[in-house]
Amino acid sequence: MAAGSEPNDARGRQQLAGKVALITGAASGQGAAAAQLFSQHGAAIVVVDVNDDGARETVDRVARDGGRATAVHGDVSIRRECDAMVAAAIETYGRLDVLYNNAAIQMSGRLVDTTEEMWDITIATNLSAIFWACRAAIPVMLAGEGGTIVNTSSTLGQQGSEGYAAYGAAKAGLIALTRQIAVEYGPRVRANVIAPGSIDTPRFRKVTDSRDDAERFLAMLERTIPMHRLGVADDVARVALFLASDASAYTSGAVIPCDGGLAAFR
Amino acid sequence: MRVVVVTGGASGLGEAIANRFASDGDRVVVADVDELRARQVADNLTAAGLNAESETVDVTSEGEVAAMFDSIAERHGRLDALVCSAAIETRSSVVDCTDEDWQQVLDVNLKGPFLCCKHGLPAIANTGGGAVVLLGSVLGAIASPGYAAYCASKGALANLAKQAAIEHAAEHVRVNVVSPSATDTGLFARVAARSDDPGRMLQMVSANTPMQRLGTGGEVAATVAFLCSSGAAFISGAIIPVDGAMAARRTV
Repeated sequence: MAAGSEPNDARGRQQLAGKVALITGAASGQGAAAAQLFSQHGAAIVVVDVNDDGARETVDRVARDGGRATAVHGDVSIRRECDAMVAAAIETYGRLDVLYNNAAIQMSGRLVDTTEEMWDITIATNLSAIFWACRAAIPVMLAGEGGTIVNTSSTLGQQGSEGYAAYGAAKAGLIALTRQIAVEYGPRVRANVIAPGSIDTPRFRKVTDSRDDAERFLAMLERTIPMHRLGVADDVARVALFLASDASAYTSGAVIPCDGGLAAFR
Repeated sequence: MRVVVVTGGASGLGEAIANRFASDGDRVVVADVDELRARQVADNLTAAGLNAESETVDVTSEGEVAAMFDSIAERHGRLDALVCSAAIETRSSVVDCTDEDWQQVLDVNLKGPFLCCKHGLPAIANTGGGAVVLLGSVLGAIASPGYAAYCASKGALANLAKQAAIEHAAEHVRVNVVSPSATDTGLFARVAARSDDPGRMLQMVSANTPMQRLGTGGEVAATVAFLCSSGAAFISGAIIPVDGAMAARRTV
């Protein structure tokens, strides 16, 4: 991203033409929606997931739209797999411009009920993974034309809620990590956070369906969210596109909520 | 065609924002207390084949603000977006700030957006929904010596936006804040131009910003445009910095 470049994204124009974007957790939900949207905006996509079938489906969908994508198996909680996915991006497309850390796991438990195993896997997948991915990607971006990093936190990264001890800690840590990247690599690499609220994706449904009071819980959510609806995967993907592209050329180290007004509401 | 009002649209960031909406294909109402400049900005856009008109308004006067939204409703029967960019700054510390300066800054920077929201939000809701963007500042979240009234006005503005956001979300009106730091087109550019050594002042601010440069009016306008687009459909009550990571960094 050249210093002083003017945003140039008037309606209809491709915002990521000629770019290469790596998206983790892109087999379904928000990651899959972003893969499709980024591709429509001209980017080649590296689809990373532990779910190989889902990753292939995302790649096929992009290809059917006339875009370019490749699937890479990757468990982001393991450092060498983060190194390998960045290496695969370079090997396949010769560059990396956008790193969208979207993969995450969510298990709930109040602090005393959070086992060591739950804590370790949550911190590894939702925080350390982003460190490893950035650790691998930033040198590549600095050697190229610079780049943009989009990290996925949550409303729970800035506000508490019953039963999210490990998840909230990881999502808050991610925000500080992103600020560090913004401050340390400012002129060449921009890094920002999306803080989604309740987004209706397969992972969200898995969590809510496990509750005894699933229906009541969903109704309560829709009542509480100021916009009176859950988000959809595309709501988040479009914010990710804004942050990944030159449309946000002078925004870095920021946390952008995508939550229907939830974080603003008592 | 969307109808968009930009207050403070006759100069600086407001003008950059008005230009952006017009070139994106919207009809822009360039609203400003400076009648001549507002008309000039609108005329320039019209001459370029774009859709614009001007309104003279003192945003601190409830009568004038209400009359402006009435006349827009009469002419166009709709309002899709409102951008409150009119603002002033005075330079004084908490102890030195005169009662007059305090009142003037709070009137233009806080009461103005309040009155525009009060009379503009129902018009947007009547259109079936839309967006409001208030121009905040990095000084709404962090402080700088000698900006007492300005910092207070921009900090309060951020929470006014949240309040308006939660009250009108169900009517499909989204309300957000864009918080720029120094840009080459905003109030800072005017202050720098008046200083003894403008070049040094610009260089100092650039060096203090992680992105090592000033922002541009176009960059602020692009963020405002995003917040008024369907891309931001699930964003409301948010503060979006356009500050080159300035707010993310501790000074030392």
